[in-house]
Amino acid sequence: MDHFPTNWGRPRNDAFDAYGTHPIHQRPYNGPKDAFADGVQHTQQPIVTGTSVLAIKYKDGIMMAADNLASYGSLARFKDVQRLCPVGQYTVIGAGGDMSDFQYIQHIMEELTIDENSAQDGHELGPVEIHEYMSQVMYARRSKMDPLWNSLIIGGFKDGKRFLSYVDLLGTTYSASTLATGYGSYIAQPLLRKAVEGYEDILTEEDARKVLENSMRVLFYRDARSLNKYQIATITSAGVNISDSLHLETSWSFAEGIRGYGAQTQ
Amino acid sequence: MFLTRSEYDRGVNTFSPEGRLFQVEYAIEAIKLGSTTVGIRTPEGVVLAVEKRVQSPLLESSSIEKIMEIDSHLGCAMSGLTADARTMIDHARVTAQNHAFTYDERIKVESATQAVCDLALRFGESVHDEDAMMSRPFGVALLIAGVDELGPQLYHTDPSGTFMRYDAKAIGSGSEAAQSELQDKWHKRMTLSEAQKLTLRVLKQVMEEKLDQHNVQLAQVTPQKGFEILDEVKLQEIIEDM
Amino acid sequence: MPDMAALAHPQQRQFNPYSENGGTILAIAGADFSVIAGDTRQSEGYSIQTRYAPKVFRLTDRAVLAVNGFAADGNMFVKKVKQRLEWYRHAHAKDMPLRAIARLIQTMLYARRFFPYYVYNILGGIEEDGTGAVYSFDPVGSYEREACRAAGAASSLVQPFLDNQIYFKNQRPAAGTSHPAHLPLPTVLSIVIDSFTSATERHIEVGDGLEMYVVLAKGRTLQGLEGIRGMQELTATEDGERVFIVRRDLKRD
Repeated sequence: MDHFPTNWGRPRNDAFDAYGTHPIHQRPYNGPKDAFADGVQHTQQPIVTGTSVLAIKYKDGIMMAADNLASYGSLARFKDVQRLCPVGQYTVIGAGGDMSDFQYIQHIMEELTIDENSAQDGHELGPVEIHEYMSQVMYARRSKMDPLWNSLIIGGFKDGKRFLSYVDLLGTTYSASTLATGYGSYIAQPLLRKAVEGYEDILTEEDARKVLENSMRVLFYRDARSLNKYQIATITSAGVNISDSLHLETSWSFAEGIRGYGAQTQ
Repeated sequence: MFLTRSEYDRGVNTFSPEGRLFQVEYAIEAIKLGSTTVGIRTPEGVVLAVEKRVQSPLLESSSIEKIMEIDSHLGCAMSGLTADARTMIDHARVTAQNHAFTYDERIKVESATQAVCDLALRFGESVHDEDAMMSRPFGVALLIAGVDELGPQLYHTDPSGTFMRYDAKAIGSGSEAAQSELQDKWHKRMTLSEAQKLTLRVLKQVMEEKLDQHNVQLAQVTPQKGFEILDEVKLQEIIEDM
Repeated sequence: MPDMAALAHPQQRQFNPYSENGGTILAIAGADFSVIAGDTRQSEGYSIQTRYAPKVFRLTDRAVLAVNGFAADGNMFVKKVKQRLEWYRHAHAKDMPLRAIARLIQTMLYARRFFPYYVYNILGGIEEDGTGAVYSFDPVGSYEREACRAAGAASSLVQPFLDNQIYFKNQRPAAGTSHPAHLPLPTVLSIVIDSFTSATERHIEVGDGLEMYVVLAKGRTLQGLEGIRGMQELTATEDGERVFIVRRDLKRD
């Protein structure tokens, strides 16, 4: 007989592991196997990619920034891509990494919000729940060796509380008052920390915007996969706001003064 | 109840309009045909005793097995369709071993009892391709005795999957007389030796044959030595001492 | 010049499901208490991901688990252990004893023998007999009970220090005296703090914050904990073991 109560009432396969030597709560799967399993290919590398996402806490809530570029290798392939997307009334997800996987994630989030909304049970998905859900999705996919190739930043504001957290293709999660993905974690994060750590409750929207704009500019100067066209999202008690695309003012005159490499002879 | 058989007698899982499952109730009746089985809990341990009905002088009485070990700290006596008990005890043994493997501790008496009772209502029609485990309820009741961190305990299970803890309990054909005798004689500070003698005395009263070391079986679970079935020599001593 | 032998074979790139997130944990058992500690920095490579990501978790009033290695696996593992503890509580009407938790962790880790949780676990708390205990595990479930253990990025720095200070390795007692079998709580706390400040100085992946959990045996007084700055009690039930947390800042550079 099958001594594992968790198996009871389910189809059995007595020919295999009749004594259930698996730990009680890890029931083996004895159902039909996918005949095409051997032919299934998992994502081995990202193809069309987005670069950094930046996010900080400030006085009124969360502010996030991401540019509008989706690259195909080193080719700037799509220059009007939105990498910040609202989920429900209180949350924004920003994504770096594979853009097709991100579109799939947006699809999941849309399905989730519709399901939760149609339940009409008085529960509303906040940033905490959405982050936990995405963490489980990302970790489950990495455990299947079929990851969603993204770094996600989830920002939100609900019940008077700011929320800012990260999750990536490995299922690694963390939260902090400043977050940055990809190249931004090397180049923008030190700038953000210097401006924000300890000033989370002081920084005004104008200050925050200035910090992010400046970081985006530095990234545009140094990250070859970035674009001078970007969006800013704010999530505050007033709800989610994602700006129209903004243009970065840049100055290249300093390049004239650089000596040592390039085409100039002296 | 037995005179008016109704359509609710057919499906094993069909409630009657009064809210009864007849097949389960009949199964409980079946136990009353079984041999008398007695269990007594004392602060020093638990004693189990069963009557072995030796129907023929050619029957090897030692082959009648109505008390079984579940784990070194758990024992079990049965009454009714003893063959059904094998499924339950097998499950209890595996559950106890699994618990020891996973948690490096002995399973509690109540948990082992619960595990056995989980099986009780797993009868009925099968769902499409799944083969059901049983076609009818168990026809056996158990007295599960054991010692754990909460001390010596005695549990009674019946075919409905209900279990209850007792200080002293009798099941089987002579259970009514035996139970009232236990109610009279049981007291809180009973010693193990007193309990041994009481179980035999109670059995003696309800048995048709003359009680001797061949037609009863006695077992005990103590904190010191765990579960043990007393051999005929020891049994004889106790009978003489009675 | 590229390695021609390597080029001759087709290259296979494979998704690596693991990462290493730095940090260090340690636990020390006393006669009737246990201290379990970890820093709060989470990093990957040279980047600090966050300055506050707890690695030490209260499981019950008498058990605390520290988890170090790949953070995603660590968090999932702790989540699953907590789930199993709750199931156990429902099934058996009691909190799981420490040694049972230790064995459970072994079975859970070994169940993933061929796709391991990339984490080192240290379990600390109070045993059924009231003694302080520390259990340490490798990623696939080998475990033993010890008096102290350090694990993680700076384990190679901290463990020798503990060997010297807790087990008195390479120390000879003064004539006519002997080494104590168990150290008092204030001494243990000092050793823990010293371990982490030193590890912070000498290892780039250690720093930012320190969380120390103290578990006291049933009926033990607060003796040794009075006057500890910023101590907070986390005990859930009355008249049993008690759990406290003490937080300290570590250098952030």
